[in-house]
This record gives sequence, C-alpha cells and structure tokens, in this order.
Amino acid sequence: MPPSTDLLQGTLDLLILQTLALGPMHGWGVAQRIQQVSNEVLQIGQGSLYPALHRLEYKGWIQSGWGSSENNRRAKFYSLTATGRKQLEAELETWERLSSAIGLVLGTVPEASA
Amino acid sequence: MINEWLTRIRFLVKRPKTADLDDELQFHVEQATAANIAAGMTTEEARRRALIGFGGVERAREQCHEQRPGWWLGTVAQDVRYALRGFRRNPVFTITVIATLALGIGATTAVFSVVDRILFRSLPYAQDDRLVSFGLVQSLEKQEFTLGAFFYEWRDNQRPFAAVTFERGASACSLTEANPVHLQCAEVAQNFLPTLGIALELGRNFLPEEDLPNGPKVALISDGLWLSRYNRDAGVLNKSIEIDGHRVRIVGVLPKDFEMPRLQPTDVVLPVALDVAAQPTVNSGLGYPLWAFARLKPGVSVAEAKAELEPLFLHMQQWIPPQIRQDFHLQVRSIRDRQMEEAYLVAWVLLGAVLAVLLIACANVASLFSARGAARQRELAVRSALGAGRARLIRQTLTEAILLAVAGAAAGCALAEILLRVFIAIAPTSVPFLAQARLDLRIVLFTVLVALLCAALFGILPAMEKPRAAALAARQTRSGAHARFRRVLVAAQIAVSVVLLSGAGLLVRSFWNLEQQSLGIETRHVLTVRVPLNWERYPTDQAYFDFFARAEAALRRLPGVTAVGVSDSLPPDGNSWHNGGRFDDLFVAGRPHPPAGTGGTVVERSVTPDYFRVLQIPLLEGKGFTEEERTSSSDFMILSKLLAARLFPQGDAVGQHIQLPTYRPYFALNGPVFTIVGVAGNVKNAGLTGQDDPEYYTLRRNRGQEWRGHCVLLLETALPAAVVAPWVRSQIAQLDATAPVEIETLHGQVSQLADRPRFETALLGFFALCGLLMAVIGLYGVISFVAAQRTQEIGVRMALGATRLDILRLIAAEGVRLIVLGGVVGLGAALAAARLLKSLLYNVGPHDPAIYAAVALLLALVALAATLIPARAAMKVEPVEALRYE
Repeated sequence: MPPSTDLLQGTLDLLILQTLALGPMHGWGVAQRIQQVSNEVLQIGQGSLYPALHRLEYKGWIQSGWGSSENNRRAKFYSLTATGRKQLEAELETWERLSSAIGLVLGTVPEASA
Repeated sequence: MINEWLTRIRFLVKRPKTADLDDELQFHVEQATAANIAAGMTTEEARRRALIGFGGVERAREQCHEQRPGWWLGTVAQDVRYALRGFRRNPVFTITVIATLALGIGATTAVFSVVDRILFRSLPYAQDDRLVSFGLVQSLEKQEFTLGAFFYEWRDNQRPFAAVTFERGASACSLTEANPVHLQCAEVAQNFLPTLGIALELGRNFLPEEDLPNGPKVALISDGLWLSRYNRDAGVLNKSIEIDGHRVRIVGVLPKDFEMPRLQPTDVVLPVALDVAAQPTVNSGLGYPLWAFARLKPGVSVAEAKAELEPLFLHMQQWIPPQIRQDFHLQVRSIRDRQMEEAYLVAWVLLGAVLAVLLIACANVASLFSARGAARQRELAVRSALGAGRARLIRQTLTEAILLAVAGAAAGCALAEILLRVFIAIAPTSVPFLAQARLDLRIVLFTVLVALLCAALFGILPAMEKPRAAALAARQTRSGAHARFRRVLVAAQIAVSVVLLSGAGLLVRSFWNLEQQSLGIETRHVLTVRVPLNWERYPTDQAYFDFFARAEAALRRLPGVTAVGVSDSLPPDGNSWHNGGRFDDLFVAGRPHPPAGTGGTVVERSVTPDYFRVLQIPLLEGKGFTEEERTSSSDFMILSKLLAARLFPQGDAVGQHIQLPTYRPYFALNGPVFTIVGVAGNVKNAGLTGQDDPEYYTLRRNRGQEWRGHCVLLLETALPAAVVAPWVRSQIAQLDATAPVEIETLHGQVSQLADRPRFETALLGFFALCGLLMAVIGLYGVISFVAAQRTQEIGVRMALGATRLDILRLIAAEGVRLIVLGGVVGLGAALAAARLLKSLLYNVGPHDPAIYAAVALLLALVALAATLIPARAAMKVEPVEALRYE
C-alpha cells in the first residue's frame, strides 16, 4: 500500500535524510523540523512518517538508539549512517537534476507557445 | 548494496519489540500534547487534538510492521495455516485433488523414465547421431548385413562416409586356464573402436599388424571381466591369457559403458584378422558375413548416404544369382534405429497414453479448483471487503495450489517409484534397456511443474476477478462462465478417456486372440535341453553326432521321460535362429517350377522321428519318419499342411519327390532327392503374431554332417521341470563334465514371446482405467456441484408442482449431454488414433466395431452412474429446505 502523502513519491525519504544530516533526532523532531523549515507548507502525516523512518532503518540508511529527549523523556533517536550519507548525496543530485529539468520545462513552455 | 542486504538479514533475525514501537508512537503523541498545551489548550483538549493530528495509531503501527523485511513470510505462514484449515474442512476435495495429481504425476514420471531410455538414450559413442549401420536386407534376414565378397569393394569406393568399419559378431569362447570361464568374444576390425569413437579405459587399440591373419594375438577385455577376474589391476596390460587354447596378450581395457552396436554381450574383443584376399573363395564364394558400420561425413544425411551407395549396390547385384536378385535391398539407418526401431512404436504409444492421463489429471484438477473457486466467491468477496488486497487473495489461492501440488507430487513420486519397479518386473526382455530405467529428477520436476501450473492457473482465475459487491449480496453463488468452462473440461476428459479405453480395448482383444490361438504344438510337459558344445573340444561332425546321440539315448533312459526328440530349431519363435529357404527353391519332380522370386520363404527343420510325438504335431497323411529310416541312405521329408496344399493342390503329396538345388554352382539341380513320407499339421512358426510360413521337415539321420551346428533336445515328461532338470544335468555331465547345459520349459519360452503384448496391454489398460476413473470423478464433481447450486431452483420447481422424476431428469440431462458430447468426440478421435496401433494388433482390426461398442457401453454405464448419484440426491431434496437454502 503506498503511503498516503501529498509529497512526490520518494521525496519524503529525501526530506528525512536531509533533516537527519544535521544531527540525531527523534521522530517528532523530524516532523517539526520539516514543518518549520518549509514554513509550515509541508505537513508530514505521522501515518507516513514512522513507516518511512522504519523503512529507511531497515535499508540501513539510518540507525536508531534510545536516548533522553529535551524534557527528559525516553525517546528513540535516529541518525544518518555512512551509507545513508552517500545515499543522501546521490538523491540530492538526482533531485537537483529533476527540479532544474522541471524548472526548464515550466520556464520555457510559455515562451515557446508565445 | 551489500550493506543494505546485511542490514536486512540482521533485521530478519532480530525482531524489533512491539513495545518499542508503542513507546515511540506514545512519545510522539505526548510531544504533540505538550506542544498543544504550550499553545494554550487545556490538557484534555491538547491530548484530543494530538490524537486527531496523529491519525490512526493502529494503522501507523501496522504500516511500520509491514516495512520490516521478511514481513510477507509471516503472511505466508498465515496463508498456509488458513489453507490447511480449509483442506481439513473439505477432505473430499483435498483427497481427490491429491490423488488425481499423484496418479497423473506418478504415471507420467514412470513412463517418461522408461521411454526416455528407449527414445532419447544417447549411445556410448562419440557423436552417436553420425553413426550408421548399412548393408543388405532380404526376406530371410531383415537386419542389414554385408558379406566379405563385396564389403571391401564398397569400403574402398564409397563416398558418403568418413570411416567404415565392421564386426563379425560375438560367439562363445572360454578362458582355458586355471579356473576356466565361459565368455563371449567379439571380433572387430582394427578401426572399429576409433570409428565408433570409443575411448579405452586403459591401454591401446589394436595395431594394423595385429589385425592381419597370423599376426600377433592380442585382446581387449571388458570392464566387467577386468573387475571380476583381475580386480581392476592396471598390471593386466601385456598379461598373457589363454582363450580357447591360444595364448593372447591383453593390450587394453574397454570403457565401463562399452557395448557392441548390435548389443551382443561381450567380454573380450579380438581383432578379426580377416584374410581379405580369400573372401571371394570362402563360404561358397560369398565371403564371411560381416556387420558394417560407418561414420557419416559432416553434412551428409542418412538418406543422402543411401542414395550415394546405390550405384555400389547395383554393381554388387550382378553378383547375386538372378533368381533371387529382386529379393535383396540396400539398407542404411542410424545405429540407434537399428537397435530401437521395433521399440519405437510401443514407446510412442505409451507416451501418448500417459500424456492423455496427464491431460485428464490436469483437467480434473482445473475443474475441481474452478468449482471450488466459484463456491468461494462469497468468501473472497467478504475477505476483500474486510481489507484483503487483490494480491493477497491471489497469494492465498496460490498457496493452496502449491500445497496441494507439493503433496500430490510427493505421493506421485512414491507411486512412480512403485510403478517403475512393476514395469521392470513385467517388461519383456525384448524392450532394450528397460531394466536400467531409473526415475529421472528432471522428469519429476517437469510433471510437478505441469501440475502446479494447471492448479495455479485455474485456482487463480476466480481470485483474479474483481470480487463483485454483488457476490456479497447474492443469495446464491453462480458463475456462468466457470460452469461452462468446467463442462467443456469434463467433456474433454470423457473424450480423452474414450480414446484411451478404445486403445486398451483393442490391445486386450488382440492379446486375448494371441493367448487363445492354437499353436499347433503341445507346449506343456515339454522340456528343451540345449548343450552349446565347444568347437575346439568337438572338432569334427562325427564328434558332435557321437555326443548328441549318446545324450539322446541317456535322456531316454531317465524315469518319467516318455519321448526324446531332436531338432535344430523350435517353433513358434520366428526371430530366433532357424533354417529357412525360399519357396521357389523346392523343385517338385515332374511338375513345372514356379517363377523365380515368388512364394516367399519356407521354414526348414531337421528333426528326429520323435519330434512329432513330443510336440504332438498330428500326421495328417502318410506314415511319417521311422526310427529305422535314421540309418537309411535315402532322404525323407514331411511337409506342413500349408506347404503340401501349395505344392500339391490335388492332395497327392505323399510319395512324391522334391529336389533342393545346391549352391555351387548356384541353382544346380544336383542336390539330394527327398521322398515325401507325410503331411503334418500346421505349426505357428513365425512368432505369435506373424503370418505362418509353409514348413518342411527333413529326417535327421545318423550322419555327422546333419548334427553339426544348432541342436536342441526335446523331452516329453509329466514330471515337473525342477525334478527332471538335475537328472538331465547329471546325465550330460557323465558325457562331458565341462559342457554347459541350458534347460527350459517350452511353455516358458512361448509365454516369453507373449511378454511384449502382455506388457503393452497391461500398461495401456492401466492408463485407460486411470483415465476413466479420473474422468468419472470429474463428471461426478461437476454434476453434484451443479445439483448443489440449483438446490434453490429445485425447491421452486417442486413447489410449483414438478415431480421428483422431473428433477432427476433435469439434473441427469446435464450429465447425459456431457457424456454424449465427450463420447462422440472421443469415438471420432479414437477411430483416427487406432490406425497407429495397427501393427501392434493381432487378428483384430483397428476399427473393430465390437470394441468400440463395448467402450461406449462401459463409458455410458459408468458415467451415468456418476451422474445419477448426485441427481438422485437432488431429487430427494425437501422442497421447504431447498427454498430456505442459503
């Protein structure tokens, strides 16, 4: 079953990896972070966040460990692995190419029709 | 990539705890609640909002679980458990499917394993498909041979072959040293092994100089002899052994899988050392008989090779006397064909029969699965409504199909092993290599795959359909398309089993004819005694005669032996050695001679007077041979009734004279003149199924030259063979302690001739019954399913006044339609297919109406029973219950 998200397929993984690149973080933190950085545009549904985190962990791109949160609660922290870092670089590159290509198409279509 | 897999495997082993996931999700909700409180909500409201924001906790948890690698493995276990529960609930379905699969897989595997050895066996020669056997055939010898007088001319002038070689056959020989053993020694040309592409296990092939007359005597020994006599000692090379009194040096050991192209058993291979220059003068100028083999040049086909040899054959024909020239033909065929040609038809018939059985089995499984699928539409619809995805439903059905196929395959393999043993036990020795048949893993896999495919395909079809909401609501589950499909399957099964049954019926009828026919001789209470004498020990004709005359007298004295006859050959086997001639070789004194090349062949036997008494062949005219005539100088002859009728249509045979031509010069009429002293009853003499040949008997007189060669003693005794045999052995041993003695009952030998038709009949009969059984199960299943589906309709009809008989007719009509359709199609196919069986049949035409009528009747009875049982059940349905049904 595909995760119900408005985001482009696969971009959620990219966002999580990018967020975790800053340092270890728990699930709540990742969601808040993405929401804040995107100026509240990207709302991450918890229903898709946790499956995505688990999926990435099973792939070995991130790892998890239990630690204490800011308010001293036991929380599960995720951090990027070496493989994950490589994966992030690769995905960023792909994203750059893709978005610039889309940008080109969107930018040139009106001109061409004019 | 490797890292990723390692991680996956690690997680597969280490199961994350459910509590951890709960903690994690709990933490999230608490954080959200805390954030909401910070935003100024009450604790209650903050928590409520947080939970709403989170969405379905349970769903998130499920989805997290599903991310786990190997998660689907758990669902497989679930599917298996579910399937097993279903099977337990429905044991009839389960057992029927497994039994059908087991029968289909078992029978197919066993038969494939057998015919694989016959049809597709590779010969133990390099590039065996390029090897051919070539030579002449004629009415007296239908396996190609060549003669020394022209072989070398052919060899030197042929173009289609890269190499030509020959062998001179294998004959009995003895290792005459300490611990003497009887062996078979084959004589081959120097280039025999290289031409066939046989690599020696040890040592070297003969050198050209060793293949010359009076060359150094060398031998190759078989792997079996190397093991049994020399314990695989490599020092056997250059060892000197004594064969039939000659010192021979071992130069090599043959490979383990070595066999002669004509499959003669062989222990020792010797160079033939043929005197080429003498060939046109020895053996009445014919040269010694040789069996020639050749390797085709690349790109030359067997047919092309034959065409290219034709000029050589035509040239050679000048040399055959014109009287019999037309009887000779050139034959070129692959070695495989020479070995197996006669087994091909049986193999293909078996293969066809077993494929038909497999077809019926698959159709049965398909129809069972389809019926089950239709019955489960509601269940599938419910499961779909409860959230099972399409893939999950298909996987569930597939799991069931695989489980059943695996169970069926396991049972099938066990059955195949049993069947194969039975085949080997009942198989005649005339089907080569059958005894070596083993279960072939590839074949097992193939049949399992076929069964799996048909189960999976037809199991999945109903699951593939999008479960309709209608199926949920429907009070009745019906599926028109499936029902039609199943009916077609059942009709097809009936048709195929009609084909099988007709074939089996024809073979049974033919076998019955074979067993019931009169052989013209009495086979019970007759023992045959053969003593193959060593030619070295008995160098003269007189020595032969002396031995056998003394043996005859000694056996006569045995208690319980009432008569002893001697012959050179025995009926009814037409393939084992017997003397023969041509009808136009018989010159009746004072009568015009029939045109040359007409009349076919005639069997000749040289017998003592008691031959007729032992075999109880009646003398119809004349007094026959007498003991006194054995010392006479005149020649006497007895004709078979058939021969007498052809030579003397007026019935005045006795007292007439017949002269045989001599062969040097050819057809010179200076041979002995025989006086006809009797006409004997006809005797089956060309095998059990063959067309009988005319036959004549000459009196075996007390002269050495009439006793040399083949000689068989016949004993008439009422005592069991086990009692008489030791007496016979001791009598012979008193004459010559080293002479081997072979004792058999004539009844046993005749029964062996029927082995092959018995084998064919038993096998095809077995398959036909399997096929019928499965087709009937299929029919029963479909009719009872139809009846169950129409229960409600039956209730309505009965409520509206239909009688029980109307209901019976309604349901039975469905079955009768299928039986008639399948039966008609099947009979048509059977009539067409029966022509293939023609050469296997004896005294019954391939379109024998009685057989087809019997098959139709049998099918109608059994199939009607399969229809009436469920139809009767439907008839007995209580209308009120039927209306409430479902």
